[in-house]
Amino acid sequence: MGFVYALVAAGLSLIFGLMELVNFAHGEFLMLAMYVAFFAWALAGLDPVVALPVCAAALGGLGWLAYHGLIRRVLGAPMLAQIFATFGLGVFLRNSAHFAFGVDFLTIQDPWLAGRVSVGGLFIGLPQVGAAVAAMGAFLGLYLFLSRSETGLALTATAQDRQAASLMGIDTQRMFALGWVIGGACVGVAGALLAMFFYIYPDVGGPFALLAYVTVALGGFGNVPATLLAGIVVGLVEALAGLLIPPAFKYSVVFGLYLAVVLWRPQGLFGRF
Amino acid sequence: MRSLAVLCPLAVLLALGASPAAAQPKEIVIGVIYPLSGPAALTGLENKAVNEIARDIANGDVDVPLPFFQTLKGMPGLKGAKVRMIFADHQGKPEVGQAEAERLVTQEKVHALYGSWHSSVTATVSQVAERYGVPHVNGQSSSPGLTKRGFKWFFRTSPHDEHFTQTMFDFFRDFQKKRGVALKTLGITYEDTLFGSDSGKVMRELAKKYGYEVAVDMQYRARATSLQAEVQRLKAANPDVWMPTSYHSDAILFVRHSKELDFNPKMIMAQNAGHLAPDFVNAVGKDAEGTMSRAPFNVDLIDKRPAAQAIAALYKQRHGKEFYDNPARSFTGMMTLLDAINRAGSTDPEAIRKALVATSIPGDQLVMTWDGIKFDETGQNVHVKGIIIQLQGLRWHTVYPFDVATKDVLYPIPAWKDRK
Amino acid sequence: MKRALAALLLLAVLAFPLVFTQPFPRHIMIMIFLYGALATAWNILAGYCGQISLGHAVYFGIGAYTSTMLVREAALTPWLGMVAGAALAVAVSQAIGYPVFRLRGHYFAIATIGFGEIVQTLVLNWDWVGGARGLFVPIVRPDSLLNLQFHESKAVYYYIALGLLALALGTTRWIERARRGYYFRAIKEDQDAAASLGVRVAREKHAAIAVSAALTALGGTFWAQYVLFIDPESVFPLALSILICLVAVLGGVGSLWGPLLGAAVLVPLSEGTRVMLGGTGKALDLVIYGALIMIIAVFQPAGLIGLVRRIGRRAAAAATGARRESAA
Repeated sequence: MGFVYALVAAGLSLIFGLMELVNFAHGEFLMLAMYVAFFAWALAGLDPVVALPVCAAALGGLGWLAYHGLIRRVLGAPMLAQIFATFGLGVFLRNSAHFAFGVDFLTIQDPWLAGRVSVGGLFIGLPQVGAAVAAMGAFLGLYLFLSRSETGLALTATAQDRQAASLMGIDTQRMFALGWVIGGACVGVAGALLAMFFYIYPDVGGPFALLAYVTVALGGFGNVPATLLAGIVVGLVEALAGLLIPPAFKYSVVFGLYLAVVLWRPQGLFGRF
Repeated sequence: MRSLAVLCPLAVLLALGASPAAAQPKEIVIGVIYPLSGPAALTGLENKAVNEIARDIANGDVDVPLPFFQTLKGMPGLKGAKVRMIFADHQGKPEVGQAEAERLVTQEKVHALYGSWHSSVTATVSQVAERYGVPHVNGQSSSPGLTKRGFKWFFRTSPHDEHFTQTMFDFFRDFQKKRGVALKTLGITYEDTLFGSDSGKVMRELAKKYGYEVAVDMQYRARATSLQAEVQRLKAANPDVWMPTSYHSDAILFVRHSKELDFNPKMIMAQNAGHLAPDFVNAVGKDAEGTMSRAPFNVDLIDKRPAAQAIAALYKQRHGKEFYDNPARSFTGMMTLLDAINRAGSTDPEAIRKALVATSIPGDQLVMTWDGIKFDETGQNVHVKGIIIQLQGLRWHTVYPFDVATKDVLYPIPAWKDRK
Repeated sequence: MKRALAALLLLAVLAFPLVFTQPFPRHIMIMIFLYGALATAWNILAGYCGQISLGHAVYFGIGAYTSTMLVREAALTPWLGMVAGAALAVAVSQAIGYPVFRLRGHYFAIATIGFGEIVQTLVLNWDWVGGARGLFVPIVRPDSLLNLQFHESKAVYYYIALGLLALALGTTRWIERARRGYYFRAIKEDQDAAASLGVRVAREKHAAIAVSAALTALGGTFWAQYVLFIDPESVFPLALSILICLVAVLGGVGSLWGPLLGAAVLVPLSEGTRVMLGGTGKALDLVIYGALIMIIAVFQPAGLIGLVRRIGRRAAAAATGARRESAA
């Protein structure tokens, strides 16, 4: 599960690294991705694994729309205004989904990846394994893109120093939009993966979004590989905490870990800000 | 400039305040408060649909050919006054329920209140009812504390968790005798709201009373992103019976994780709510085979209750879903209220209250397989009867009491590796 | 001219319950006052001192639970319970502040969320304070000021809430003028520069959060006595923290009247849309709510107070222009 959290968080981290803006509607993006996966399955019979690129594309498109429609206009505004622009977006999306799709809990039946594997006496669900593999793949792809391709480098440059990048001829507006597209795509992949084994309904995004924020903060804002590490840590801590102490306190332990880490390193583990 | 701060809301207030529906003498207004948004919206909408059916029966638009319903048709007690229901959304929050209740009573001048599913919201709504002297009938909230507050205006038709859990333990006792198996350890899990917490408490108490050992006693965070750790604990403790108390979303997750982690309880006894919904069956029905739950009502008993057949057909027609326990309970409560108003022959609150106190509806006229409806001094219906149902082959079947059972108990629940 | 307007407004507010005797309008005003007070309290820490806390519900809940437990266990009047709640909230705020104040920006915000979550989970699992089942405030009749419970009419609640709001506003005003207020704003502008100029940053932050927490806790006690039922989900949730924040931001942080303005708009808005559309079960009211938040964030990031000031300035300019013309 840690990989899934990391993937959800990756998009968040990227967006923040680019423009110092936290997308509070990220949970709702995830929710929409899951709905896309569901409809791909229900209407076209596509297994989530196959529908993955569809979700990625759809959410990438949504990211682009969100950027041009909303985010662009609040870039200059104080941090609080930005928070609330995306918060409003989240509320709007969540309840539009309620309005449009109703509140039934939807699930995808009989996905390709079903059942479980036994790893040394420990049972792990196959969907989760698949999710982890896919998430790792996505991260690898993201990393390669950011560090090897020209656009990716331009993106990183913009993140590091906006003014210098624009002086060098990089179109910052395009970079920002691209950031949102990639961020959206990441969450699209995460949504497709989650849809394999989680139920889908309008409010589903909330708990995941919260964990994503903690994950990003834990790894450090602005550092995407750190987010992956943080995600794994969060997933592990959640699982272990549930086993060793009363599970009701699972999330408290996660937050406690976050607090402990930032006490020691106020920038998160590897943060740039 | 600061006048804006006051003028803005004033304008809204005038608009809102200026629209109270002065109660026309030829109308019966009932305020119905349910969660129509948020995580429990599914239930709220189901209840809304079934309450609308009740309203139409009372208004004579729907005809149910049974004596009880015929007496209500067109509300003869009030010379044919029409029933009007105002639906309000409490969003799952006690303070919103309170505000809506108050608004309905004071602005819309409702003659009675009905609702609200969430025990915590029912608590605050009933406080408002008690304060203003308006009858409040509840058909579904199962927290026992609700009828223990000495309220005069609160009435509950449905059984509460003490009844239900008692039925469960009665079943354990009789089942062990009948099949000759021993059930010694219990694993109880419950979610962290009023519903879960109360249920867990009652289970613990009855377990102690009857000498069962509670191997696992786990309150978990509702709407968690993962319940794997919880299931792993259950698996490690391996209780003879697993007793979950969950709403829909968590129930689904539990089943999925059980399958992944190869958790094979021999018996699952659930505290309703999440497990009975059609959504649950649609989502994980195959995997939840063998799950048992307490229920006040089950679909396969419809044959024993002609009223149920009629209403189930209507509900399916209007709402597009199968009739089941939750809407059935909501319907029953509403019909009880309408009956009382009819008998009172007036919309005066005290008259309705007296009529409610005097309620005596025979069991065979109900949709439910209860003995009837009769309230004790705390406002609780004492003729309730719980049954135990089990999910077999994607349908819920009554398995207890044994004399009304339609199927035998499936025990033990086949392990994952033994299923196709 | 401005004075007269202000006096008229004050009179209107004071006389409101005499004109509007229905509970619902009073309820809305009470909610406006309460959220206004909470947002104003939050504003002290966030707007003036620049520390964005997203876990303020902790103090609210502490206020509510402390006074309620004291009422139930020790039959102590809620007025004293209020004070106790505020004291406890201050203590907790100091404990939280100590590790958390060295964080900046988003890290700080998430840390406050973390504390909020931890406290909520603790209370949820703590049977002595009712755990997940919540606590009922014992109902006493007849209405009594001593017990802070009124069933016959909301009027007294109205004035108490108004008093709470006045207290919050007064405190803010006092801080604005006092030297402390300058320290706060210096910290908000540039923490390092302020430190280099000799401002005791840590001490000031602690002071800010103490005041903020105390006021918020008072609100919590009021709430408990108003709704007469509390549970962790209704007084500790993240959603409440965010709502307090939202109210202040919408109205305009860092200004005296901003949070109240935010409350005055947001409360009727959410109540109004719910009343009109909530019954349909389509959540349309929340769709509109979300859309409106976005619109305001985009077009008026300084908050509604920015809008009000602009109109005020234009009106003043028009007035001076007219006067000059008539004088010429």
